[in-house]
Amino acid sequence: MIGTAGRRRAVQALASRDLLEFVRDRRTLFVTLVMPMAMYPVLALASTLGVRGAVADLEARRAPRRLALAVTGPGAEAFADRLRDVVAAAARPPGPGWPAAVTVEASTAAAGPGRLDAGEVDAWIEVEADAVARLDGPGTLAVDVRLPAARPTGRRQRDDLAAVLGALADDARRRRMTEAGLPESVLAPLAVSFVGGSAEDSAAGLQGVLPTAVGGVLVLLALLTATGAFYPAIDAIAGEKERGTIETLLISPCAAGDIVAGKFLAVFCVTLATLAANAVSIGATAAVLVRLAPAGMTPGITPATAAACGLVTLAAFTGLAAVAAALCLAVTSAARSTKEAQNTLTPVILLVSGLAGAALLPGFGGAATAAVPFAGQVALAKGMLEDAPGWPWLLAVSLASSAVVTWIFLRVTAAALADEELLFRGPDSAAGPFLRPAPRSRPSPGQGLAATLLALAALWYVQALAPGDLLLALPLNQAALLLPLVALAAWQRVNAIDTFSLRMPGTGAARASACLAAAVLLGASLFVVGAAAFVAVRGTHLSAAARELAERLLELVRNGPLWWTCVLVALLPACGEEIFFRGWVLSACAGDRPTRGRAVAAVSVQAAAFAAFHLLPERLPQTFVLGLVLGWMTRRSGSILPAIVAHAAHNAVPLLLAGLADDRMALGGAAPASIVAVAVGCLGAGAALFAAGTQRRGATNRCDD
Amino acid sequence: MIEVVDLVKHFRAVDGSTVRAVDGVSFAVAPGEMVGLLGVNGAGKTTTMRVLATLVRPGSGTARIAGCDVRDEPIAARRRLGYLSAGTGIPDRLTPRELLHSCGRLHGLDADATRRRTERLVEDLSLGGYADRPCGRLSSGQRQRVSLGRAMVHDPPVLVLDEPTSALDVMGARDLFDLLADLRAGGRAILVSTHRLHEIEHRCDRFLIVHGGRIVDQGTRDALVGDRPGGLERAFFAALEPEGAT
Repeated sequence: MIGTAGRRRAVQALASRDLLEFVRDRRTLFVTLVMPMAMYPVLALASTLGVRGAVADLEARRAPRRLALAVTGPGAEAFADRLRDVVAAAARPPGPGWPAAVTVEASTAAAGPGRLDAGEVDAWIEVEADAVARLDGPGTLAVDVRLPAARPTGRRQRDDLAAVLGALADDARRRRMTEAGLPESVLAPLAVSFVGGSAEDSAAGLQGVLPTAVGGVLVLLALLTATGAFYPAIDAIAGEKERGTIETLLISPCAAGDIVAGKFLAVFCVTLATLAANAVSIGATAAVLVRLAPAGMTPGITPATAAACGLVTLAAFTGLAAVAAALCLAVTSAARSTKEAQNTLTPVILLVSGLAGAALLPGFGGAATAAVPFAGQVALAKGMLEDAPGWPWLLAVSLASSAVVTWIFLRVTAAALADEELLFRGPDSAAGPFLRPAPRSRPSPGQGLAATLLALAALWYVQALAPGDLLLALPLNQAALLLPLVALAAWQRVNAIDTFSLRMPGTGAARASACLAAAVLLGASLFVVGAAAFVAVRGTHLSAAARELAERLLELVRNGPLWWTCVLVALLPACGEEIFFRGWVLSACAGDRPTRGRAVAAVSVQAAAFAAFHLLPERLPQTFVLGLVLGWMTRRSGSILPAIVAHAAHNAVPLLLAGLADDRMALGGAAPASIVAVAVGCLGAGAALFAAGTQRRGATNRCDD
Repeated sequence: MIEVVDLVKHFRAVDGSTVRAVDGVSFAVAPGEMVGLLGVNGAGKTTTMRVLATLVRPGSGTARIAGCDVRDEPIAARRRLGYLSAGTGIPDRLTPRELLHSCGRLHGLDADATRRRTERLVEDLSLGGYADRPCGRLSSGQRQRVSLGRAMVHDPPVLVLDEPTSALDVMGARDLFDLLADLRAGGRAILVSTHRLHEIEHRCDRFLIVHGGRIVDQGTRDALVGDRPGGLERAFFAALEPEGAT
């Protein structure tokens, strides 16, 4: 056996060999170095030109304009004189709400419309002979301000007109107060002045647009970093298969894990180089942008803050680079040729860029988001820019999550590399999507994934068509879940008994009854304990979607017979979802003879899919735990029945509480401590009873598997 | 050196039927012996060799390389094996010298040993004229020589060669078998398969004729041919189509 030093030497040799090949590949060099160096300057140049154009346009729109008024009618001369006096006395600086200059001329009525349409004057006011007297008197002078009919009048022009005429009205008020012997202070009952604070810099800043722009750049950075792994990963495995060189590696005295480690190191190095090139390009482009930005426009953050943000972003994106490298290797490990690998990897890259983009949505953030690859890194970097607290903790979560996800992907790659069916595909096993595969006892992991994706897609589209009435919507959801599955199962010709665990739990009627009774206890107590934990962590506040669902369920309980509601809301989803998740998905993930590790992974994966299927983010932990317990019950008993019973009991508890006791529990209200304590006791008792009831049968099933 | 006992390998076809690629094959190759594995396409030659190379797990039976079971000690078996198949390629963007060096390191040789071994192979296989040229620019014969060097970089006592002359012209094939003769004389056990019976008729010590996953005949050239006219080729056809068959 080769020792640790020999293994390290082999991993280094493989990584060096692959790196040497990558740097001699023009496509890799283009994606790694040329694209980042060209992409950001081009984008920045285009956006700078756009911003400069927009600012110039804005300044032109905001520039003060001249206002020309014509006054006609018998009292035109006096009114024009008064208006001129008011404008002269106002002495306001030109700007928003006041024109640069005002000219007022008395004109004949006949000439007014023509001059207006010719653009010689902006407005035309016709006044009576006693207009000025009425202005100073106690009444109200009504004036029509005629605007040009042949050309549009801008908002700025209307605002300027209103300001000038408003100044005329203010002057008239003052005159009337003087005439009445009242002081001007009558018109100003309150004088407000601000003390302390500092006035906002009048210079235009980038603070408003910076988070959006940086968010876009971060998503682009995530996409380009992942793209850096694209060609190397394809070349590293699918390319080796295509060239026939993979055999030379597999017959070297290295374990599959060591080969994958070497390849990962090489791909990771290229991905890191891509990240570094992107970082350099972004930094240099940002520096150029600041110089090119219009005068007075500032980035709004200090260089020290920008440097700190950059360093944390780089650290987080190092984890992203590792995940991207491992993901690309895992995806391409199942491909036989570079073309096949490209076809498979391209949608995956698009999906992960969508995941990165999701981090920009409002409400995303915190440790849960930080643990999600691609979204977590973008959210963390964006949070740093917005000065969000707790970044060291979030960075640690992000890096730890990246390490775990990378490790999982590398394990998948190693398993695929050692899979002789994937390597040689047997003499007659080359199969296309429309070539019906050979019957199997259980579905393949790929078919498990396909069914899950189909179900999620069907659920999504059904939401658009689903009626508001739960009586119709619930069966429709279950149909959307099961119909694609039925088609897939029929196509694959799986063994239904093995796949869906269609057996009785336990050996003998007594043990089977004990299992089912334990399932009722487990399901019901899990709901109560889960609800109590939910309330303890998040309080009694429910999201709008969850509250709407709960209220619709309550309405169903109140308006119909309870037994029918239980059948519809508890039993029907329990049957459908258990057949799907604990039947198809669990069987697909576990395979025929799972090791303990694979069985644990299979239970976890189907629980995650089960949680995702419920589309209620705040209930994710509770649904995930329920999925874990139901998966464990199915694996242990070799039967799907206990899971169906437990699931139905879990769903029935809030209905029974709402129908027989108190609405508050069903709406997420806090349960009394005594009920929670009883539920915890039932949970333990149920688990013990279930373990006892399945003891012998579980061992038998594992052998049967 | 190579011991195969009752080796079985079945595959499942798309229609669910079972393909018996190797169905109870037993044979041995001693040190200093070169054995020819003959058979039509689909006879089970490549699957047998892939089992020996640890690329495919045996269904049942045992296969040992220099005493190491390919199922239980695959890494130890690989250290003692040089494997080359018609489908084995070499990286286009590496030079032969770089390839041999990286393969040596992969097999656990230290830097000095790898360098010495590389230079030795460059000389023995006459790679000197193109040792620093990218493999993608080499001719088929040159590539096959490099590929053979890759299989021998760790100086294995056992060589398993699956149609090593398929890409070679007559001269190249002759040179290759001359080299294999030298290796056999050096004590290596060699198992070689080919469809060109004339190339190995007078070069192998023994022959195994496989058909339908089973060994249907085996022995030295003289034992197989006997006094039959037509040489090994005639004996091969006779083994596949016994008397009474059409």
